[in-house]
Formats: sequence, structure tokens, C-alpha cells
Amino acid sequence: MQNLIAFIQKLRVFFVFLFLQIITFTAYISFMTVPKSSYFTTASYFSGTLFEIRHAVTKHFNLEENNHNLQLENIRLRSQVPAYLYEAGRDSIIHLDSNYHQQYQYVPATIINSTTTKRNNFFTLNAGSVHGIHKGLGVFSSNGIVGIIHACSEHFSLVKSVLTSDINIDVMIEGNGAFGLLKWNGENPNKGQISGITNDIKIPINSNVVTRGGSGIFPRGLNVGKVTEVESVEGKSVWRIEIQFSEKYAVLENTYIIKNLFMNEMTALQTKNQGY
Amino acid sequence: MASIYAFILRFLLFIFLQVFVFNQLEINPYIHIMVSPLYIMLLPFDMSVIRLMVVSFFLGISIDLFSNTFGLHASSLVFLAYIRPIVFRWFAPRDGYDTIKTPSIFDMGNRWFLYVFGILLILHHLWFFTMESFSLAELLLILQKTFPSALLSFAVCIILQTLFLKKSK
Repeated sequence: MQNLIAFIQKLRVFFVFLFLQIITFTAYISFMTVPKSSYFTTASYFSGTLFEIRHAVTKHFNLEENNHNLQLENIRLRSQVPAYLYEAGRDSIIHLDSNYHQQYQYVPATIINSTTTKRNNFFTLNAGSVHGIHKGLGVFSSNGIVGIIHACSEHFSLVKSVLTSDINIDVMIEGNGAFGLLKWNGENPNKGQISGITNDIKIPINSNVVTRGGSGIFPRGLNVGKVTEVESVEGKSVWRIEIQFSEKYAVLENTYIIKNLFMNEMTALQTKNQGY
Repeated sequence: MASIYAFILRFLLFIFLQVFVFNQLEINPYIHIMVSPLYIMLLPFDMSVIRLMVVSFFLGISIDLFSNTFGLHASSLVFLAYIRPIVFRWFAPRDGYDTIKTPSIFDMGNRWFLYVFGILLILHHLWFFTMESFSLAELLLILQKTFPSALLSFAVCIILQTLFLKKSK
């Protein structure tokens, strides 16, 4: 017994070290995968408020570029509004409003803090649970997808951006419909990777990459980027695909949080039929 | 005990510098300047390792709160505090350290500081980036991040010392 006590006393420093490391380790793992609260993040009330104050100063820095992007998006949307289109086939097609149900709801939000060069980058948005935001919602911007809500407090939320190692959003190549998972290898904030597309499918360079909408978080067809490189992996039957993101995350400010109103129905259906 | 207040003030200053200045300075993915190791480095020679680790833990947690790293800074600073006495022992002067002095570049000289803080900083950065990547498949990326970041952090830490510290009598 005395030997044991002497042994423990000798290793006391090491045990304190080990104890503190275990605390930080578990905190890191649990917050990276399934955060239970927003207290330990920049979406907490205290640090969220601090970053909002900072944002009040820095928000004008990229104003011109952000405004330009919003203007381009407006033009694109305007060109789709029926009132501004020339009616080609008169009376031939009748649109019935009752044919369409609203599937997605949008909440605008501004990025008040972001990083783009760390291994895992999280963005803080100035919208929270009072705006009906909860974990797992998708976030996108005028030019492309941004990420998924990771944790949220009353007034702020934390987005796990596409610039994280395990973002895994399902994307597809527009044109041939080949789909895979979006990855980020941490080397360039403008370039992402797609994994899981087998090499029997031809992938043309410069083809558009869009969301597939399989998980119901994003609608089908949201812009992600463009294919810049297709290489074969030695010994494996999959392509290594490099894409250029269509959004510049370093200057991004205006985002939309998207809420799928049919999400519950979809997940209920999928869990009910699991195992078949 | 004026020095305790000085240490608390410096604690807050380092959190501010790390979170609002150096975390925002995003040059490229290979450079992440961390100045918080300097705070741990400058704590007195005669402070016990356990106290060092507790201070590091709280400094790290405070930085983590503002940078979405969920404990990475805390973990790597605790590691730094743990190895600090070991590295200090390697480079100890023949008759031991003079506890009136502080482990700064002015008191201990350029050579001593370059070796001791250089080793500590590289190990700290290596620990940080390894934890951050959390996969050995990214070993190359980890090393590509460690050395440029440690080099720049070292330069910034020397500048900070010349700005804020004086040689103690």
C-alpha cells in the first residue's frame, strides 16, 4: 500500500497532465461530432455578442463584393419570374397555384465571425433558436452552399462549414448524375474534393457540381462548384476529383438558412423502412 | 503582490491578442500564429508544474471559447506546461536557474531563448496540429503547418517581448 502511495505521488504530475488531457480530448471529440450545447462555442451568448461588436466594425470591408453578388443573384432570380418573361405558348400551359406546395423556408443570416484557413472552420451566424433555427439545418449563399448548423443558442448559431474535414454533403455532377461525398483536405479554402465516384463514369472537366438533396438538408441542384481535376487513384476504382468552390468563403457575409418543411415526413419514412 | 495583477492582466491581454488579432490574421492554411505559448513560457521559474498546467488549462479554455477549437488550445498548452520543466532542465546553467529572473529573452539571453522556446514552440505546434487533424494520413499536412507556423509564432513572440518586457534587475 505504501509503495502504491509513493508511486502515485511520484507520478502525480503525470496524472494531473493525463486528467487535463482527457478533459480536453473528450470536449474536443464531443463538440466536433455531436455538440450538446453552444456554451463552448462562438455561438454562446457571451462570445457571440463580442463578435457581433467586432463585426459592426469590419462588416463594411467587403461591402462592394457582397453587394455585387447579391445584385447578380437578384438578376438571376428576376429572369425566372413569370411576369418578366415573354409568354410563348399562349393559353397552352395553365399554372395552377394549388399544384405547388412550399417545401423550403428561408431565414436570412449574416456571418459575424469566420475562419477559412484552419483545419476545421466554423462560421458564426447572427440568427438563433428564436428565429426557428436548430441543429442540422443547411446554410447556403448566393453562389453556393456554406455548411450545416452545428449548434445554436438563442441568438446565434454555429455553422460547420464545407471547409471541415468531415462535412460529407452529398453532391452530384450535373449532367450525368454521378454522386459522391464532398470533402475538404485542409489545403486550399477555394478547393474541395469529391470522394466515392467510381471510375467507370466519365467526368468532364468544368462540369458543374450541385447538391444531390439526398439527405433532405439541401434541395437538389444548389451550386457547389466546378470540377477542375479528375485523377485516378492507384489500386482503387474511384476517381480523385478536385473542385473549385463557387463561393469565396473568405469574404462571404450574407447567407440563408434553409429549412425543409417535409423533413420530418422524409426521415420518418426512411427510418420506418430501414433494413429492407 | 503587484506581480499577480500583472500576470492576470497579461493573461487577458494574451487572450485578446490570440483571439482578435492572430486568429483573424489568415494568411494561408499553413500559417496559424499562436502567441499563447509565450505566456506560459514567461511564468516564473519556481512555479510548480501542476500550477503551470492549471494556468495553461484555463488560458487554453478561454481561447477555445472564442475560436471554435473546443479544447485544442487547452490541450496543447497543458502539454507545453508539462514539458517546460523538462526542456528547462536540459538547458539549465551550471549553478541552476536564478529565480529572480524571468525566462525571457532579455534575462536569459538570445541563445538560451532560441533553443528552449524554439523546442517548446515546435512541440506545442506539432501537438496542436496533430490533434486538429486527428488523423495520421495527414502527417504531411501537419508537418507543413507546424514549421512555418512555429517560425512565424517565434518571430511574433520576440517582437511582443521587445514591445512589452524589460530586463529585470
